[in-house]
Amino acid sequence: MSDEYENKTGYQAQSSESITSSSIGSGVATDIDYVRPAENAEQDLYHGHSFITKWIFCQDAKVIGVQYFLLATFTGVIGLVLSWLMRLQLGFPGAAGFMTAEHYYQFVTMHGMIMVVYFLTALFLGGFGNYLIPLMVGARDMVFPYLNMVSFWSFFVAVAVLLASFFVPGGPTGSGWTLYPPQAILEGTPGSGMGIILMCVSLILFVAGFTMGGLNYLITILQARTRGMTLMRMPLTVWGIFTATVLAMLAFPALLVGSLMMMLDKLLATSFFMPTILKAGEILEYGGGSPILFQHLFWFFGHPEVYIVALPAFGIVSDLISVHSRKNIFGYRMMVWAIVGIGALSFFVWAHHMYVSGMNPWFGFFFATTTLIIAVPTAMKVYNWILTLWRGNIRLNVVMLWCLGFIVTFVNGGITGIFLGNVSVDVPLSDTYFVVAHFHMVMGIAPLMVIMGAVYHWFPLVAGRFLNETLGKWHFWLTFLGAYSIYFPMHYLGFIGVPRRYFEMYDSPYMTSAVGMNEFISTAAFIVGAAQFILIFNIIKTLKTGKPAGHNPWQANSLEWLTPSVPPEHGNWGEKLPVVHRWPYDFSVPGSREDFITQTTPPSDVKDSKVEKT
Amino acid sequence: MGNILKKLFGTLLEKPWESERAAIDNVHEGKTFNISAQKSAVIIIFGIATVLFSLVFTSYLYTLPPGQDTKYLLRPNLLWINTLTLFFVSYFFNKVTNDLKKKETSKIKKNFLIIGGLSYLFLLGQIFFWVQLLKSGNYVSTNSYFANFYVFTALHGLHLLGGLFFWGKVSSRVLKLEQNKILEEEKNISALSLYWTYLLIVWLMFFLMIYIFNDAFIAWCQSLLP
Repeated sequence: MSDEYENKTGYQAQSSESITSSSIGSGVATDIDYVRPAENAEQDLYHGHSFITKWIFCQDAKVIGVQYFLLATFTGVIGLVLSWLMRLQLGFPGAAGFMTAEHYYQFVTMHGMIMVVYFLTALFLGGFGNYLIPLMVGARDMVFPYLNMVSFWSFFVAVAVLLASFFVPGGPTGSGWTLYPPQAILEGTPGSGMGIILMCVSLILFVAGFTMGGLNYLITILQARTRGMTLMRMPLTVWGIFTATVLAMLAFPALLVGSLMMMLDKLLATSFFMPTILKAGEILEYGGGSPILFQHLFWFFGHPEVYIVALPAFGIVSDLISVHSRKNIFGYRMMVWAIVGIGALSFFVWAHHMYVSGMNPWFGFFFATTTLIIAVPTAMKVYNWILTLWRGNIRLNVVMLWCLGFIVTFVNGGITGIFLGNVSVDVPLSDTYFVVAHFHMVMGIAPLMVIMGAVYHWFPLVAGRFLNETLGKWHFWLTFLGAYSIYFPMHYLGFIGVPRRYFEMYDSPYMTSAVGMNEFISTAAFIVGAAQFILIFNIIKTLKTGKPAGHNPWQANSLEWLTPSVPPEHGNWGEKLPVVHRWPYDFSVPGSREDFITQTTPPSDVKDSKVEKT
Repeated sequence: MGNILKKLFGTLLEKPWESERAAIDNVHEGKTFNISAQKSAVIIIFGIATVLFSLVFTSYLYTLPPGQDTKYLLRPNLLWINTLTLFFVSYFFNKVTNDLKKKETSKIKKNFLIIGGLSYLFLLGQIFFWVQLLKSGNYVSTNSYFANFYVFTALHGLHLLGGLFFWGKVSSRVLKLEQNKILEEEKNISALSLYWTYLLIVWLMFFLMIYIFNDAFIAWCQSLLP
């Protein structure tokens, strides 16, 4: 195989913890810069020569990362436009003349699915994962580059199939992003014909494609790191992406099974999720299935999905905060434990989405308990971010603003999550705007802030130029204040009982009292959406006239900034792979000449420095 | 398993910022496990496929209503022969991997071809059994017992087809190689062997499920109760 990573000498690899000082040999005693000679054969990379093999059907993980990023952003913009249309209807009913109730439900559905799966998941794992993993662990590329390319093109086809549903008779499915049967496939629900079938096909393609990509991320991180890069020397970004990928690999099969079975229910009249149904006095051909089974399958995927988005965000923001406050991350080991712990716990909380589904009430007790337990490692992370900032040499640039915005927003959304995790509080708030406000804060706006911070942070690496700071600050403040203008009032709407997924507010005291607030929220939504185009303008402007960034412009320590050329070329490292001598968080080390010591700096170069114990 | 847990928890306890630890970490080779990338991929696929098949199995148990007609599947049928075929595939894979260990390459090409042939035979047998089922009036929509049977066999067959795709890639290289160079493909062949063993285990579990989790068997168990 051209993408083979082999160990020709048959060297018995030892895990870091199993290497003892006696097994290191005399090299350490006599030479503090000692590095074990390279024992793995170089990876044989495929180098494209034509435009098509270099930029379209490309096997370079960095190009694939950018492809993922662009396609996910494109679908994200579609999701944004759909949210504008929904807010137009809610704030100013009838203003969008073409919009019927059916259209509204279709937009709700497509907005939700696009944003969660095709935008956030694809962008974090496909975009940042592909670009950063090989660079951060010191590999030349992913272990199976060809499979990686197939993964992106499967995603491309999945997006094409999803968007095709806008153009089929009946339009896309309007059953809500949760696609609950039986209504999803029965007449009367918008898009119950081709719409739901295309949605299921698209999801199956997405899962199949992601599995190929995920396989690459995991094996590259586990088996293809450079010398000296132990697991506990990896940046938290890689830990976040790694754990999220493990979750995705275990959770996506549930989505695949659910989609497949629902498609069979629709096309071949099976009854996996279909109970006996009486419609207009006539018994339908279905019978014996369970709609609750679909809900279990969906949320067995759906809840880990929250962490599939959140964990990479946690990892990335940890690195950004550390670099831009010039301090080592507070409690690195605890951060790793928390990422792993949250990942494991996320598989035991899914039914907190189903308190009102009619399942056994004892389930509610169990899942409320596990849900509250998951708040512990999550809170640990928040404390550690704040303690990293504490007495740091904070650079209050655009990247840091996004990080601070993330912490505040995540705490906000997290606390309302504790409300909803309790059965007795959830039941009256279920299906109200309180829930909409909660999940948009915690898994919409908060991860989006990390994405934005990451874009401003790594753009100089990808393009070799700094994004404009002034435009960046406009972008941040409009988004931050705007997002709070949208979602804070929504909590109140939820408290007064305004239900979600309603096309129009019917005539009742609490509904009519919400009119003014809905107008305000919608206006804020238009402004926040439009503010995102500042970034697109900034990128175009920067590519033409931006300030050149040069090597390692943020004075970071991790490997991605230490490539011989910026932007990194195919193969990443030129002649020799880097050798790692330390973790990536040696900032402001006492006794060191500079306030950062890169991962590749040998000990002899920083003899007088003393690392702080954390 | 114990080693993996020790490795995992041992790793999570490391303090990478300490100079004593740095001396140990500096000589780390960069790999976590001493296995090839191909074998790592197969092991990860095991994990994913196990979740997938377990979910289908759980769904089946969840929706198993009483009074389903399961007679056709419980009679002696082609599935027994197909199962035997799959056993033979694993037998020949075992021969190939043993030969590779002993560095005896004379029969590897022949046995590798037999493996592919038998695997396709298994798939043909499964399709033929589907045809028999359909002719007997047991469709995917007949009841949840048959619906799950079709879904499970289809997913299992798709996994086997995926394996056969890589078998095709590897065998096209193996057939072109001279006898003494076949050992270069050892990693790929042993990864494929592992994958086929897994598919045999999955199939056996499912085969067992057909006979245990059906109304006839449950009724028989109940009849034993006083």
